[in-house]
Amino acid sequence: MTTLRVLTVDDSRTILAMLHHTLSNAGFEVLQAEDGKQGLDVLKNEQVDVVITDINMPVMDGIEFIRHVRATGNHQSLPILILTTETSQDKRDQGKAAGGTGWIVKPFDPEKLISVINRVVH
Amino acid sequence: MSDLDDFKATYFDECSELLTALEEEFAAIEAGERDSDRLNAVFRAIHSIKGGAGAFGFSALVGFAHAYETLLDYVRDGRIELTDDVVVLCIRANDIVADHVKAAQTGEALPADYGIDEKTRFDALARGESIADDDDNGEGPDEFDIDFTPVMVNLDAIHASGEAAVDDAFDMAPMQIESGHWEIKFTPHRALYARANDPLLLFRELAALGQMHVRAVLQEIPPLSDFEPFAVYCSWEITMVSPDLTEAMIREVFEFVEGDCDISVAQVGAAAIGQAEDTVAPAPVAKAVVAAPSEPDDLLALADDEVAGLLDFAPEPAAPAPTPAAAVQDTFEEAPGLSFAELAETIKPAAPVIKAAPIPMAKPTALAAAPVAEGEEGGSRSNGVQSIRVDLDKVDRVVNMVGELVITQSMLTQQMDETLRARYTELVRGLEVLAQTTRGLQDSVMAIRAQPVKSVFSRMPRLVRELATKTGKKIKLETIGENTEIDKTVIEQLSDPLTHMIRNSADHGIETPEKRLARGKPDTGTIRLSAEQAGGNILIIVEDDGAGINRERVLQVARDKGVVAPDVNPTEEQIDQLIFAPGFSTAEALSDISGRGVGMDVVLSNIKKIGGSVHVRSWTGKGTRMTLRLPLTLAVLDVMLVKVGDSPYVVPLSSIVETIQCSRASFERVPSGGQVLQVRGEYVQVIDLAKRFDMVTETDPENRFVVLCEAEGSHKVALIVDDIIGQQQVVIKSLEENFERVDGIAGGTILGDGNVALIVDVQGLKTAIVHKNAA
Repeated sequence: MTTLRVLTVDDSRTILAMLHHTLSNAGFEVLQAEDGKQGLDVLKNEQVDVVITDINMPVMDGIEFIRHVRATGNHQSLPILILTTETSQDKRDQGKAAGGTGWIVKPFDPEKLISVINRVVH
Repeated sequence: MSDLDDFKATYFDECSELLTALEEEFAAIEAGERDSDRLNAVFRAIHSIKGGAGAFGFSALVGFAHAYETLLDYVRDGRIELTDDVVVLCIRANDIVADHVKAAQTGEALPADYGIDEKTRFDALARGESIADDDDNGEGPDEFDIDFTPVMVNLDAIHASGEAAVDDAFDMAPMQIESGHWEIKFTPHRALYARANDPLLLFRELAALGQMHVRAVLQEIPPLSDFEPFAVYCSWEITMVSPDLTEAMIREVFEFVEGDCDISVAQVGAAAIGQAEDTVAPAPVAKAVVAAPSEPDDLLALADDEVAGLLDFAPEPAAPAPTPAAAVQDTFEEAPGLSFAELAETIKPAAPVIKAAPIPMAKPTALAAAPVAEGEEGGSRSNGVQSIRVDLDKVDRVVNMVGELVITQSMLTQQMDETLRARYTELVRGLEVLAQTTRGLQDSVMAIRAQPVKSVFSRMPRLVRELATKTGKKIKLETIGENTEIDKTVIEQLSDPLTHMIRNSADHGIETPEKRLARGKPDTGTIRLSAEQAGGNILIIVEDDGAGINRERVLQVARDKGVVAPDVNPTEEQIDQLIFAPGFSTAEALSDISGRGVGMDVVLSNIKKIGGSVHVRSWTGKGTRMTLRLPLTLAVLDVMLVKVGDSPYVVPLSSIVETIQCSRASFERVPSGGQVLQVRGEYVQVIDLAKRFDMVTETDPENRFVVLCEAEGSHKVALIVDDIIGQQQVVIKSLEENFERVDGIAGGTILGDGNVALIVDVQGLKTAIVHKNAA
């Protein structure tokens, strides 16, 4: 099986670092972006299997990012997971409305993170 | 657990940046810039702090940040108005967040109810307004239904089973029902596919939970002539056979598609019938009723009674209509725990269509155009200032190497005597270019470490506001020169001393409004905080228009504490400076007198630590000015090279006023046995460096030189040296790092010829002598 590539988008270096650690330990290849705009740039040039994105980010937030991803290129079937805090139900709904596939609750548990990813990728 | 430690380090690093950003944002918000960009930035900062805190289990921080974040969210979407009171509350909240971060970092516990008052106010604010806005929440899912409609097309399946399936209608039970099994009906909406969810993956998840039987319901698939490519026609009926399965486990699989499908989960079989009807079934039914009318899909655009009929199905299976073998074989599988590949096969034909389905038909142009516009805007924004993060150690290494380069370069230049210069003009030109480039390199490298003092200054308005509230005074803060840049390490050390100084001004300097009015001053006191570059130094000045230092009290306390001998009568300036005297100020007895003294020794020791000095000047009834003089610790200093005895010393050029030959200077004796120098009618204290540093000098006193320097507060001091060699640049090497702090010496340097020279600390010399006299 080929290595799955995950794009992580978050303006928090802490979260990016933790995601990177967890995902690469689980054998994923990890790409990073610090906001939605950077995320789109990555998607323009790279093939990824799943995206994990924060919602609150400068320049371009997660909602807008997801909308753009869904609206551009061949990314309609790209699973996009929203990294969210447990309590932001309406954010989650917004993310879903924009085309988010699922969500990961912050703080994430490594095992759960992997299982959630496995839930949305073929 | 070093990984975790690394993450924590990153986190606290990030927190400190975010907290600084918060202060800056609020400074602007206080100044009236209440736009959404600022609020969004504030929200994000708190959100990020909370997110990381959650990851490390700092629950107190999470709790507070969450309440604060909620408030900010309400402010952001206009539910709560951003009044001055709210701003003040937010500023206080930032403080509390900072305290929580600090507590998390140091491991010190804060009181359990820390910040509870603020939290209560957040809640009260949120409650007061929360009724107005319940309607924003519902619109989300609807926005999407213009999007594509995936189709499940399996022509073979239609041919093979279509007719029968239609006849069977919905009440056909897919499986032989065994007691305690779970029956799931699952009908995806278009939105499910639009969000890149895939029934196949859901089935895969389910299959991992236990034995699974899946049956596709295909009777909705219309004749080809009526076929709408983007409609959803296929639904599934799934039976799960597993003793340990709970509804929650099943629902969790469908967590991501909740609202994007109709789903019912019911436990069937004798033991569970009541339960299925009472508790399990109603929930999904209710959900489906809500979802159906809003969904324009053909499948769901049913008349109400049809919907009702459809929904009746959920609890129905309790009355089994078993058509076991035939129905099962008719569709696809009967083997319990169906092979995943087989299941995939049945779904696959549809999948490519789903994936290839074009995106929104109606809106696509608008949507597609948006990214371009956004992209350009975003691009131009990010082109402004780009930055990278570099380990400070790496920068230090470069700084050091550049320092060595400067020394080498200056050494080379010194080696060029007149003969060589005349003979090798090309070489001389080369050296000149090298000198220029070196200087440029040096400046650039220094600039890397330099940061505007803004990051420290921005914390002060909050402090002043707090102090004003606490003391019941009216105080306004003016900041000047906040873009002045200082070395990062210096900035980090600046926060505490500045806090102390401002606290002191507010506590002891500024009078109450009544007192001020009585003295004919405006009732609002002013604290002015300024930064400026003065030669090789940075001056940071904290000035207030308060009462000034109560010298009688200060002197009294100093005498009581034995800091000043009974027979010594210090000058006013010396008394002012006494508040920094070691051992003078920490006593509580001082905290309630109107004079100064609280914590100022901390200021002095902190500033000395970074090689700086503090000077205080006070005018009774008019105010006090405290001046911090900070060296650019890592900077290259322009100096005058002098000789004392046989040793070279350097005096920072920035403090030198003029040099005079001793034979031309007019010295006068004073009763204490010392000397003063008269310069244009002003008497200046004389310090013979040879005596001060215990050097033997054989130079004829007439041939020695006076270097007239300016210390803090334009007070001059005259240094006597044996010879003046010339000007040059030196790289400062810290004595403290390599040896220990020496009074009167600001550091060391390596000269072009490889010799070490000590850098004279003019202010330090003067202060040391004041203290010596005083003691």
